[in-house]
Amino acid sequence: MQSSSGSNPSQVAARNCRRLQRELADLITGGIFHVEEGAAGSTRWVVKIRGAEGTFYHGEVFRLQFVFPPEYPIEAPEVVFLHPAPIHPHIYSNGHICLSILYDGGWSPALKVESVCLSILSMLSSAEAKRPPEDNDNYVRTCSSSPKKTRWVFHDNKA
Amino acid sequence: MRVQVEGWHAVGTWTWNAEDDACGICRLAFDGCCPDCRIPGDDCPIVWGECSHPFHMHCIVKWIGVQGNNVQRCPMCRREWQFKSS
Repeated sequence: MQSSSGSNPSQVAARNCRRLQRELADLITGGIFHVEEGAAGSTRWVVKIRGAEGTFYHGEVFRLQFVFPPEYPIEAPEVVFLHPAPIHPHIYSNGHICLSILYDGGWSPALKVESVCLSILSMLSSAEAKRPPEDNDNYVRTCSSSPKKTRWVFHDNKA
Repeated sequence: MRVQVEGWHAVGTWTWNAEDDACGICRLAFDGCCPDCRIPGDDCPIVWGECSHPFHMHCIVKWIGVQGNNVQRCPMCRREWQFKSS
């Protein structure tokens, strides 16, 4: 009951199935991220991310949920942290992530699950303070269940 | 000895002359076709941007179609997308 998509995993369109198959294989051979739930034919994946050594998040493991729309990769996947989300200036306590590449204007169909995971890991690693976003409580109270419906304003690339 | 050829079958091979093997959008081989097509070849051509990145025509057209009024950008390098004239 944790999925913001609500529905059971369903079959993805044939057009993106083969691409997801390849992405899954690349993630497994890449070996950096562990796919906890996911199959090429499933619209919902859960990927584990380990905090890098020498950063605030060393020793912590987080779970990222990807939900693929039928038009993926033309349309961006919906990416959120499952509870508990990392405490980070750009990550809200409900798991929503303020990162431009996840939303319209920043997404590119050349991005992959692996490159999204790497960007998020790098965002965690470059944190200068371990604190929630300043407007966390207000955002979490008022936002839509999908972060893709939020009108994000991207201020900086430092945390 | 005289040999009389009664018939013959020509077999040709072809390949797209792209620098990359696979389309950066659908990740399928250029020698194959995009996910919406069944037969590779002229019906599912590859095209290049001014930035020199190749894609299946059907894939890049889909991508620039969803960018609305925004500047249309290459998925690989994010430079403004212009079809390269051959």
